[in-house]
Amino acid sequence: MTDVAHAAPEAHHHAPAPPRRGIKRLTGPGFLRAAWMAPLFWALGTGLVLFFRWLGHYEPTADWTVITVVGFLTTAPIGFLAGIGAFDYWLYYIAGRPTRVDDHASHGAFSWRDYFKVNTDHKVIGVQYLVTTFFFFTVGGGLAMLFRAELANPDMQYVDTQTFNGLVSEHAALMIFLFIIPAFAGLANFAVPLMLGAPDMAFPRLNALSYWLLPVAGLMFLAAFLAPGGAFATGWTSYAPLASEQPLGQVFFNMGVQWAGASSIMTALNFLVTIITMRAPGMTFWRMPLLVWANFTTSLLVVIATPFIAGSQFFVMFDRVMHTNFFHVAEGGYVLGYQHIFWFYSHPAVYIMMLPGFGIISEVMAVFSRKPIFGYRLMALSLMGILVLGFSVWAHHMFVAGLAPWLRVPMMVTSMIIAVPTGIKIFSWLATMWEGKLHFRTPMLFALGFISMFVLGGLSGIFLASVPIDIAASDTYFIVAHIHYVLFGGSVFTIFAGIYYWFPKMTGRMYSERLGKLHFWLTFIGFNGTFFPMHWIGLQGMPRRVADYSAEFGNWNLVISMFSFLLGASTIVFFYNVIVSWHRGPIAPSNPWRAMTLEWQVTSPPPVFNFDEIPQVVGGPYEYGVPGAKHAVLRGGAATVHEEEVVH
Amino acid sequence: MRRGSIVRITIYGVLAGIAASLVAVLVPWLPTSASEEMDRIEFAFWFTTVICIGVFSVVAAAIIYSILNFRVQPEDESDGPPIHGHTGLEIVWTAIPAVLVTAIAIVSAIVLARNDDAGPNPIRIAVTAQQFAWKFEYPGDKKVVSGELVLPVDKPVKLTLHSLDVIHSFWVPEFGQKSDAVPGVETTLVITPTKKGKYRVICTELCGLGHSTMRAPVRVVDQATYEKFLADKAGAGAPDETSGKSIFTAAGCSGCHAFAPAGSDAEVGPKLDNVDPRGRPVDEFLRESIENPNAFVEPGFQPDVMPSTYAKTLTGKQLDALVQYLVDGQKGS
Amino acid sequence: MSAHADAPHHGPPIANQSSRIDASVLGMFLFIASEAMLFGAFFTAYFFVRVVNPDAQPWPLPPFHLPVFVAGVNTTILVTSSFTMHWALQSIKRGNRNGLKAGLVLTLLMGLAFLLTQMLEYARIGFNPGDGAFGTIFFGLTGLHGAHVFIGLTLLSVATVRAFRGHFTPEHHHGVEIPGIYWHFVDVMWIVVYATIYLL
Ligand code: HEA
Ligand code: HEA
Ligand code: HEC
Ligand code: CUA
Ligand SMILES: [Cu+2]
Repeated sequence: MTDVAHAAPEAHHHAPAPPRRGIKRLTGPGFLRAAWMAPLFWALGTGLVLFFRWLGHYEPTADWTVITVVGFLTTAPIGFLAGIGAFDYWLYYIAGRPTRVDDHASHGAFSWRDYFKVNTDHKVIGVQYLVTTFFFFTVGGGLAMLFRAELANPDMQYVDTQTFNGLVSEHAALMIFLFIIPAFAGLANFAVPLMLGAPDMAFPRLNALSYWLLPVAGLMFLAAFLAPGGAFATGWTSYAPLASEQPLGQVFFNMGVQWAGASSIMTALNFLVTIITMRAPGMTFWRMPLLVWANFTTSLLVVIATPFIAGSQFFVMFDRVMHTNFFHVAEGGYVLGYQHIFWFYSHPAVYIMMLPGFGIISEVMAVFSRKPIFGYRLMALSLMGILVLGFSVWAHHMFVAGLAPWLRVPMMVTSMIIAVPTGIKIFSWLATMWEGKLHFRTPMLFALGFISMFVLGGLSGIFLASVPIDIAASDTYFIVAHIHYVLFGGSVFTIFAGIYYWFPKMTGRMYSERLGKLHFWLTFIGFNGTFFPMHWIGLQGMPRRVADYSAEFGNWNLVISMFSFLLGASTIVFFYNVIVSWHRGPIAPSNPWRAMTLEWQVTSPPPVFNFDEIPQVVGGPYEYGVPGAKHAVLRGGAATVHEEEVVH
Repeated sequence: MRRGSIVRITIYGVLAGIAASLVAVLVPWLPTSASEEMDRIEFAFWFTTVICIGVFSVVAAAIIYSILNFRVQPEDESDGPPIHGHTGLEIVWTAIPAVLVTAIAIVSAIVLARNDDAGPNPIRIAVTAQQFAWKFEYPGDKKVVSGELVLPVDKPVKLTLHSLDVIHSFWVPEFGQKSDAVPGVETTLVITPTKKGKYRVICTELCGLGHSTMRAPVRVVDQATYEKFLADKAGAGAPDETSGKSIFTAAGCSGCHAFAPAGSDAEVGPKLDNVDPRGRPVDEFLRESIENPNAFVEPGFQPDVMPSTYAKTLTGKQLDALVQYLVDGQKGS
Repeated sequence: MSAHADAPHHGPPIANQSSRIDASVLGMFLFIASEAMLFGAFFTAYFFVRVVNPDAQPWPLPPFHLPVFVAGVNTTILVTSSFTMHWALQSIKRGNRNGLKAGLVLTLLMGLAFLLTQMLEYARIGFNPGDGAFGTIFFGLTGLHGAHVFIGLTLLSVATVRAFRGHFTPEHHHGVEIPGIYWHFVDVMWIVVYATIYLL
């Protein structure tokens, strides 16, 4: 990140506190303090473990599993967070000192260094989120490249089965918990307060904390590779009882999910409060941009559902660490309980991974079709519909799991009904394009790619929702195909669309349209080549999560691997485009897309506090083509509403 | 909307439909069915496919048409017509998908009901899964156990699945049916084989490092051969008798090891026809390898794949018999 | 942010209050919703182990017994502490500092009493989390709740410290109100846990 990344400090803005000198640098918030606080807290945690185990006459006193869970995976991270200063303000408060008038010293970014500090500016946090999540996307994808290489031929080549399962599990864990979910949170972090006409999120410090939990969770997942016995290898679903019998690496997943989950709960809570209490005057719910609606519904899902995966991971972990019997049949445990609790989160989670994308596409569609969103209210309501239905379908992941037979048909019906609200969205987008003035900029290409690919993924979902078909298809590569059509063709395409769409606003620079389009086409081709054949090799008899498969599928897998490398390479184009444009792309006008929503009515990048004065909202967000229509009027020194010349 | 455009968009739709249909018929999507259940599943599959091709064609047509017709002219900064919605349309595209999915749901529910019903008196076979081997117990007064699943053609079979350790999943692609074997829960599966031949049980639930190797042979034969198979087994004696051969198949060894006398050709574990005892007495080495497989791990194979439970699950007599059987089977040296 | 009301160009503009409900109160309610779901996950586990499981164990698992009476006394302690908490809040709203302090201290003490009793109970109860799914669920739910009591106490002690430093006024007393809401939640949760674990 370079210093063009954010507005130069305004005269009246408090400069950040002067850098500390000498020993003070060890006591002031920052990585130096974290460097000694993390080990200190580790020692505290470990000490507690030893003390209590000694007290209770447990054998052995130094049980490394327990020490890992408490010392390495719980207290050390807390020490790290305390070290970088995530808690400072609250500690002042707790200590009962009169809380300092907040001087916003930790607000805004004036040099790349500020991105590596605890920062309370939602725009900085948004960028921190995106950079971090794309780092983990690269790692997760890199792992996919590795196991695709192993899968290029039948039989075993490079890795043994345990390592292979480890790669697959890490791949999925990183992609879901450290890419898709937080990447959406990052985009929303940047855009939502601006769109609402708010100066920041409701709880800026909580916002900063929830970001810093991510690196913790991510490194925890990766650290599992160093654990004796290798990384967790039970898939991202980590089913009991297998998960409580696996090598130590498993607990890195159990705990990593806790940190990532805590992060997304905090963010969701923050979004909800911001959206409910900080809308600009005139911004009624029926005037909110659909991205805001999408994050509103998503946040509800997160707040309600996420505790369930927390629970499920605690249970499997306790079964290992504390020898409890949640899932030990011999001791009266009940194995299927895990799957019910896990999927009660993880099905809603798939909508957590899709609804924000729906929001992004709505923004892009309206702007690049130069038309109002077709059926705005129904678009918002269908989100709510999906939210409600999403809680009534979890058992469709358990059709072959020995589920109570009477539960299958109801769950099949609800699963299929979700096609209706989703269909409403798809058709409304198509109608939005109808007779529009389509500008095929990169975000629009990804939006179209998304619609076509997600429809395919959704339709394969309908196949799976049909119990008899799922009985044949479950746990085969057909599932893998479905996963990637909805998660890559769906979520990832929308994330790319969003990144390109808000890139000028975030960085103040334009990306290269040419490279953007190249990136799209490479991805589109690589993606379909990789994942489409998986449908039939799965149905024909290739199970998922196997390092070694029967020779008949050799050729198709070779093709798949080849395309997957193309897909991987395509992302290199993306990274090149982003990095180069960020350094020396042409300066972006404040409203290159001639969009109506509020974030485009301020400079690119926006001023540190977004608006000099809170704008007054006077109309809907998508009134394109309506003569003289305005979404909002801005007083004060914000950029004027009329459009500048677009930079090509 | 003008007539011309209606014609054009229909053409795009038809073309998309044809393209999709070609993909659907030219690619062999499903394995060749070998059971009545799979036949019904295929019906549900194609029923859904037709509907989904329809849906896909509509979406594709709309996208193609928009791309071709509504692309903005260069330098055109104007906006499109401010259409905010159309209640009629919205009702249509709420209702039609609702109807379509309901149709799919009804068909699926019927197929499911028929596939779950085993008829009056099916053959009941108990399946036991364990890391990483399958075991099949056949009905009859003499307890016949085997590592191979042999089924008579055209007879409904009801499998009851159990697991000794973690969750496994029983799947024979050609039979369509699949069910997890869950510790502490008894699950069932109905199969009515229709084609004689050799198939394979594939474990489809990740169950540890041997998951990808957890397979078992399946044979669908005519009634006579089936009864003969049972008789031979019974004759050869149940595993509690001291017949190494029957133990070898019963305990699932044959599921992983090639061993000529047992006629097994599995490749998960090393061939046992001429084991290299690493300079120790063969019987001693064999016994150790069975009781504690990780004591010596054959190069080229992974530890922990072979169950280490045999010392417990097999009686001393059975172990002696098994080792003797293997020793006798050794070629050369 | 209210600190900047006087100087508009001195930091962010004052955000528009678009809802009658106060941000931090709403935040606490949402947090509680999430917490309730966490309990929900544990209760689901309880439900599966005790109800769904085809071969569910007897409850409590013989030969063990649950100290229903002691726990009942403990319950009354916790419930009472909800009233003292309420009293504390009402007092500060009426500007009665001493009422606030007294109420908070009492609540704090009763919370501590509850926690100590529970620890003694753990020490004396004679079975541990490993004793059947019954022991697991018992310690799981009571332990989860205990942890929440602990969090509640921490929040309360902060409020107490600040109360004694005279921070709260009839206008500004979020520092009391919000921990209070959480405390009431913890109490209600306990009633549910007590009913399902000890009585049912
Ligand atoms: C972004 C994530 C995402 C999304 C949006 C979806 C959407 C859907 N998913 Fe998917 N799913 C996953 C991610 C997702 N899924 C993942 C990760 C797994 C695997 C988990 C694992 O590892 O095991 C999974 C697994 C999974 C299973 C379990 C399979 C198995 O393990 O045996 C099932 C079964 O019912 C299912 C169904 C559905 C359905 C019905 C939808 C519906 O919401 C789709 C609705 C959309 C459409 C239908 C298309 C648009 C609609 C129209 C154009 C209208 C007209 C349509 C009709 C008339 C049909 N999914
Ligand atoms: C959003 C989620 C997401 C994303 C984006 C991806 C992306 C990819 N996935 Fe993943 N996948 C899942 C979610 C996702 N996956 C899930 C949930 C599962 C189930 C796991 C389980 O069973 O538990 C799964 C499982 C899964 C499997 C099945 C494994 C098995 O069951 O045995 C496969 C197999 O091919 C696969 C492949 C890929 C590939 C090739 C990509 C590619 O798109 C990756 C492309 C990206 C990159 C490559 C990274 C960036 C580029 C570089 C690093 C440049 C350098 C690299 C090269 C040029 C080689 N995935
Ligand atoms: C799930 C698969 C599996 C099953 C079932 C299994 N084995 Fe093995 N076996 C293996 C593997 C893999 C190895 C090689 C690794 C090792 O030596 O542990 C092996 C090794 C052996 C060896 C040592 C061979 C050598 O050359 O070192 C013997 C002997 C053996 N098995 C006998 C048996 C017998 C007898 C049974 C049945 C009672 C049996 N196995 C069941 C997988 C299996
Ligand atoms: Cu057994 Cu996989
Ligand atoms: Cu689902």
